[in-house]
Amino acid sequence: MKNLWKIFKAGLIFENPLLVLMIGICSSLAVTSNVSNGLGMGLAMTFVLLFSEIFISAFRKVIPNGARLPIFIIIIAAFTTIVDLVMKAYFPALSKSMGVFIPLIVVNCIIMGRVEAFSSKQKVLPSIFDALGMGLGYTWVLIVISAVRELLGNGTFAGIQVMPASYTPILFFILPPGGFLIFGLLMAANNGIKSALKKREARQAKQLPDMREAKENA
Amino acid sequence: MKSSVKLGLILAIFAATACASLAIVYQITKPAIEAQEGQALASSLKELFPEAESHEDITSAVTSTDPSVTIQNAFLVKSALAPLGVAIKATGASYKGPATLLVGVRLDRSITGVRVLDLSDTPGLGGNASNATYYVNKENKITFPGQFTGKYITDKFEVKSDVIPITAATVTSKALTKIVKTASASAGAWLESMALGGAAPSATSGASVKEGQ
Repeated sequence: MKNLWKIFKAGLIFENPLLVLMIGICSSLAVTSNVSNGLGMGLAMTFVLLFSEIFISAFRKVIPNGARLPIFIIIIAAFTTIVDLVMKAYFPALSKSMGVFIPLIVVNCIIMGRVEAFSSKQKVLPSIFDALGMGLGYTWVLIVISAVRELLGNGTFAGIQVMPASYTPILFFILPPGGFLIFGLLMAANNGIKSALKKREARQAKQLPDMREAKENA
Repeated sequence: MKSSVKLGLILAIFAATACASLAIVYQITKPAIEAQEGQALASSLKELFPEAESHEDITSAVTSTDPSVTIQNAFLVKSALAPLGVAIKATGASYKGPATLLVGVRLDRSITGVRVLDLSDTPGLGGNASNATYYVNKENKITFPGQFTGKYITDKFEVKSDVIPITAATVTSKALTKIVKTASASAGAWLESMALGGAAPSATSGASVKEGQ
């Protein structure tokens, strides 16, 4: 159980696909001009990632090594098309604003990377946790980037006006350079969190033998 | 040789399964997608022609007067009693990719309204064309597409002359104006060919009679 939690946590912070592995960045910068897009894209991506990992992990013994990449792509493409159709049917506004980026999930390197590196070698349960960790890791980064960009660049949050009317939106944040800037700052923040967590772990690891020693002495 | 046949076979099985499952999802979502599209169309036609009751697809009969603007769909909008006008969904190139507008033209050759259906231009600049609170005429609260309402299809449609551009988005302003001009001219041409409605601007009324014969 602890191991599964570790796998899940890795995707969120230590191996965050966007901030640490730095894959799948193109879509993350393109759709994050408002919060609902960021959230929708993140969830769509998590869905595709989850089901692709489950399927590929379940069939990993039947998938021949020589034809694994085309088979991965077929499975990923099938789930992406399902998401695309479902969104068109039930969330038309969202599907319209994300445009071409939903079909492009097929070629998102995060999915291909996780499927190849993780679920094609692991059992189903760890794969589920890996997919959830990676997917939610992707989603939270998208939400944070899009929240900052929408708030500063448009004065709204998820389409609702929050900034006072006197606030002049800073266009820069909606435009691609603003996306890059916030992305870079987030990367730095994540590195800070990472090293703080590592330090804490190291300290705890040091304290444990000390305590044992103290007990033995007593 | 044998192993490559086996690989192909396994690949084919995966592909066939994926196809089958997609076919099922497609069948399930198809009515919902069509309903969504139909509803979106009906409500936008209703916005252009509040009296609209029904519409008839005339896409195949309307041809674009400018090859750089494509006419996606065209509808003859009718009230319970008589035809009201033509609505045209037209696509043309704008600053950051294609833009799609819906243009309504009354029988008297005036524009009832323009709706921006699809525009991917820079938010805050060209994207303001689809922003309902961005006014090109601040005193009268007229939006960029809103300013076309009431214009006649024989007007000039020239940015900075009879069309107010969006600040810092000349390319978008010109591109959208061109789409409106082409769509309304195409609608006018179709109305002429069907000899529908008396053309209000005097210059065109004679032509309509001639073409009618």
